[in-house]
Amino acid sequence: MLIEARNLAHVYMPGTPFEVEALKGVTVGIERGEFIGIIGETGSGKSTLVQHFNGLLKPASGEILVDGKNIWSGETDLRRLRSRIALLFQYPEHQLFEETVFKDVAFGPRNLGLEGEELERRVRRSLEMVELDYDAFKDRSPFNLSGGEKRRAAMAGIMAMQPEVIILDEPTAGMDPAGRRSFLELIEKMHQEEKLTVVLVTHNMEEVARLAQKLFVFSGGQLVLQGTPAEVFSSAETIKKVGLDIPPLTELLQRLQKKGRVIRTDLFTVEEVGREILRVSAGGASIEQ
Amino acid sequence: MWGLVSAIIEAKNLTYDYDLGENVKINALNDLSLTVREGEYLALIGPNGSGKSTLARHFNALLLPTSGEVWVDGLLTSREENRWEIRRRAGMVFQNPDNQIVATTVEEDVAFGLENLGLEPPLIRERVAEALEMVGLQGFARHAPHLLSGGQKQRLAIAGILSMRPRCLVLDEPTAMLDPRGRGEVMEIVRKMNRRENITVVHITHFMEETLEADRIVVMDRGRVVLSGMPVEIFSGNADLASLGLEVPTIPRLARMLREGGLQVPKEVLNVDELVSSLC
Repeated sequence: MLIEARNLAHVYMPGTPFEVEALKGVTVGIERGEFIGIIGETGSGKSTLVQHFNGLLKPASGEILVDGKNIWSGETDLRRLRSRIALLFQYPEHQLFEETVFKDVAFGPRNLGLEGEELERRVRRSLEMVELDYDAFKDRSPFNLSGGEKRRAAMAGIMAMQPEVIILDEPTAGMDPAGRRSFLELIEKMHQEEKLTVVLVTHNMEEVARLAQKLFVFSGGQLVLQGTPAEVFSSAETIKKVGLDIPPLTELLQRLQKKGRVIRTDLFTVEEVGREILRVSAGGASIEQ
Repeated sequence: MWGLVSAIIEAKNLTYDYDLGENVKINALNDLSLTVREGEYLALIGPNGSGKSTLARHFNALLLPTSGEVWVDGLLTSREENRWEIRRRAGMVFQNPDNQIVATTVEEDVAFGLENLGLEPPLIRERVAEALEMVGLQGFARHAPHLLSGGQKQRLAIAGILSMRPRCLVLDEPTAMLDPRGRGEVMEIVRKMNRRENITVVHITHFMEETLEADRIVVMDRGRVVLSGMPVEIFSGNADLASLGLEVPTIPRLARMLREGGLQVPKEVLNVDELVSSLC
């Protein structure tokens, strides 16, 4: 297991009248190379949990293990851990600060001691990964980029640290549909080609159903469901009870199935669902009730 | 008479340049003309940077035209004496719910605008209660706003506007930062205000699904209106939305694929209910 939370609890502002128990006895595990989606209402504990994965927060009780080792036992170099398990916050463009895209992307690896040609190679490769042309972008001010380009630049800054895990907290908030789609395609590509482990926190059920291999569903600081998107969204009642939605394609397939069609409900793209409906319709596979 | 329905907002040849100083200007709206009809639910979509928010800010005189005119309910926005009345009649809700809270209790927050109008306290209390009920926050009058959920905060912002008895609600991505429940709550209130109270709605969004129940969708690109039509025209027609940074919502996209595959799915199908009944 790459990352494990064991009976993890977190309390904000303990001992004050504002004390909030944000996580209550959470046990979850993430394997190397997985694409995990985390969903839940605002305040359900998602963002708190992911900040525990790289030691930004310290458990009130319970443990966080990375490669089987408790990261708070005193033996883990937390700075190194945070470059292995990188966290891209919401509105990551707010984290851009240098005069040029090059300097911004170079900031992390330079702190790790990289310089000269090696540093340049690292920056070039990171910008290529996020599909920003090195020569066209390296000297530009990060502040004059478009919204989508800024997020890519921030992402390149993280990729330059060569992380094993990337945690994204609502990475596409506020982006237009085209920007959102191409950013998610990028994440998908990095998951497949760079073998990156991805943890995606999002309010978009449709996107997460399509992208993630496994979902964790949170409510009131507790893990209430986990499984493949098909398993999780088949618990329609629980999903709605905890304030979430069934993605429209899944709802459609579930309702066709209830009407007696013998149809798969574990498909999450328009193309797959379209082919399935056409197949079922052509085969006359419906069962009259 | 040239129509039964009159215009409530009119932008005529509107151009707006952001002045960055040192003679650097960025053009955001380019000779744009648009009429919003009274009682209409208009969804405004377009890629990032297309000028949607700039346009919305002209609708309640937060921005004034570089050239051209904007009329709101018969009032010209560039006349200074109209400004407060325009802001009362066309209220605006923004993306971030936390930036719109001004008081320490829910009722005081709603009362803020009314107090500025100089209304008598009994009338203020009546209007506050009425507005909170309209958005379903009647039990929350004494609550602290910052402890509300995102959806409740946005409903509170809407209540503050409703208490002013507006003609028009301008919403700039009101659901962008909300979870699914909050998104649903806000959409329901906005639809209800439009249908029951006949309040005109201008709703900017990046969520294509949210536009499906609008009376009309206006698509902007580079400071201009490039398309305008009913949702079925915009999403089932041949408009190249992808080249505008937009996309056809999931269900109409699937419906088109099924039509092209030979199934009898009407062009009007926009949501799950409609698609299920056309398939079964």
